[in-house]
Amino acid sequence: MTQSRAIQTTTAAALALALGTALTFGNTAIAGEGAAKEKCYGIALKGQNDCAAGPGTSCAGTSTVDYQGNAWKLVPAGTCEKTAAPTSPTGQGQLAAFKDV
Amino acid sequence: MSTLEPIQVGLSNALLAPERPLPPGVITWNGSDPSVRFDVYRNNVVVSLTTALAEGFPVTRALVGERFFAAMARCFIADHLPSSPILSDYGDALPDFIAAFPPAQGLSYLPDLARLERARVQAYHAADAPALTAQDLACQLANPQRLSAARLALHPACIVLVSEHAIVSLWAAHQGQGRIEDVDLRRAESALVLRDGDAVLVLPLSLEIGHFLVALAAGAPLGEAAEIAAAAGPDVDLTQAIVLLIHYGGIAAWHTPGDL
Repeated sequence: MTQSRAIQTTTAAALALALGTALTFGNTAIAGEGAAKEKCYGIALKGQNDCAAGPGTSCAGTSTVDYQGNAWKLVPAGTCEKTAAPTSPTGQGQLAAFKDV
Repeated sequence: MSTLEPIQVGLSNALLAPERPLPPGVITWNGSDPSVRFDVYRNNVVVSLTTALAEGFPVTRALVGERFFAAMARCFIADHLPSSPILSDYGDALPDFIAAFPPAQGLSYLPDLARLERARVQAYHAADAPALTAQDLACQLANPQRLSAARLALHPACIVLVSEHAIVSLWAAHQGQGRIEDVDLRRAESALVLRDGDAVLVLPLSLEIGHFLVALAAGAPLGEAAEIAAAAGPDVDLTQAIVLLIHYGGIAAWHTPGDL
């Protein structure tokens, strides 16, 4: 009985902390979302790029070959340079546009 | 009791199964063979429902192949008349059907993958509803001891999935995110499916948060849901769950017992 009351108190405190912290994030949560992403060049499959695929294109979804070096895709921060890109000189995605090899 | 009903039932039963006889009383205006004409009707019904299923379950279809999917759809259609005039609702029962479909027994992840695809369609068509903002919820902090008993109503377009299989990674791999070969199907995964503007998002969740949101969606109070999450695993980040819900407008209502 005492133990279950102790659990309830812990839960109540955890909930208050979680809600309080969540509310202080408020609208900055939206900005934080953007910060957790990075533009990753060379990993998008044909037509699946988020943006930038050279002059004269209308951006998103316009890359014409798989792993095009000047087309980027938004990926979770930190994962870009771990993603395989056969066209890349390093073999992985890069944070800047590159020439396909 | 309308005399139309037995005629309608006889007609729809005969439509869905080619081996059943023509319903009584079917005639043609020009004296041609009614069974030939009725077969055209049967074919149109089955083909259009098969197409509706195929478009609603593209990854399921890709995984089992065109022919398997078409054969499975035919078995499904034979037992499932559309229950709504809205074609996008057709297929709500397909995931459960796949789970019980003997030829699909080797693909234990397939029913949950189909549930994920169905959730995306349901989220897309779900009713609009106003969502609570951080400002709306700030008053709840005034009585922290009452938080445990509060119940949340999730937005109608929010659907939580928890699976024993890596259905979220598998689905993402079919959208060009990650490689199918790298997906470990035995890993349990969870996702929150919701609508952001006109786009349907599939947000991967930790299993703990997945269980937390499943409990909330089922009507459990916050305290109980938090304990369920803690029992699911060591990494319970309730702040992240609440930030996610507020950010995407996932909380439609917040009820505390005793409030009017």
